[in-house]
Amino acid sequence: MRAFDYRQAEEIKDALKRHGVRYLFIGKSGAMLLGFPDTTQAVEIFADCDEENGRALVAALLELGFGLTSEEAAEIERGKDFVQLKNGPFDVDLVFAPDGIERFADAWSRHIDVEGFPVCHLDDIIASKEAAHREKDRESLPRLRAFRDYWKKQDQRR
Amino acid sequence: MADSNPKVWLEEFEAAARRPLEVRLRYAFIKTYKPVMDDARFRSFDSMADYRRWCEENLPRWLGYARV
Repeated sequence: MRAFDYRQAEEIKDALKRHGVRYLFIGKSGAMLLGFPDTTQAVEIFADCDEENGRALVAALLELGFGLTSEEAAEIERGKDFVQLKNGPFDVDLVFAPDGIERFADAWSRHIDVEGFPVCHLDDIIASKEAAHREKDRESLPRLRAFRDYWKKQDQRR
Repeated sequence: MADSNPKVWLEEFEAAARRPLEVRLRYAFIKTYKPVMDDARFRSFDSMADYRRWCEENLPRWLGYARV
């Protein structure tokens, strides 16, 4: 499988929009959309957890070429807290209840639009990584926090 | 692993800010095999706690998914 690229980013954005999915990019992939220079393997999507949104998300994923069985589709529609997909054109993690963020609506109210890509605010991305308490996040958080300081200063100048 | 010098970080942030989104994404996503993690086409977990537990019990420690 190839790594995720810009064309696929456009395709996923367009498919999710067409199907009216309520979602945000989160995690390191979200931070990168905001300008954070780093590398990652998977796209992480924080989707609003309700069945209608789950159905729309499944329809978009099928359209993008993800090979979901009916049972797997049902699990996404039900909004399991975390779903990992490696059965499509690129790897996607679907997160319905990220650590450190209470409700989708709260994150949506703070989100940033990057050329049509809806992205969690860096404060939320950092909060979710802090709450996860993983070794890999502990290593990357100092640089991500430094980027947040830089990004907020740049934002004030705009 | 990125340099741990904040001055270098700032230079990296400024360089990234000069690149258009398409170029940033071109270099952002990589694909390397992660043992165990990449060996299933689909996984789902009822809770994030279940997922974190699964990572700790099944993934090699060096992947960094264990909680600290």
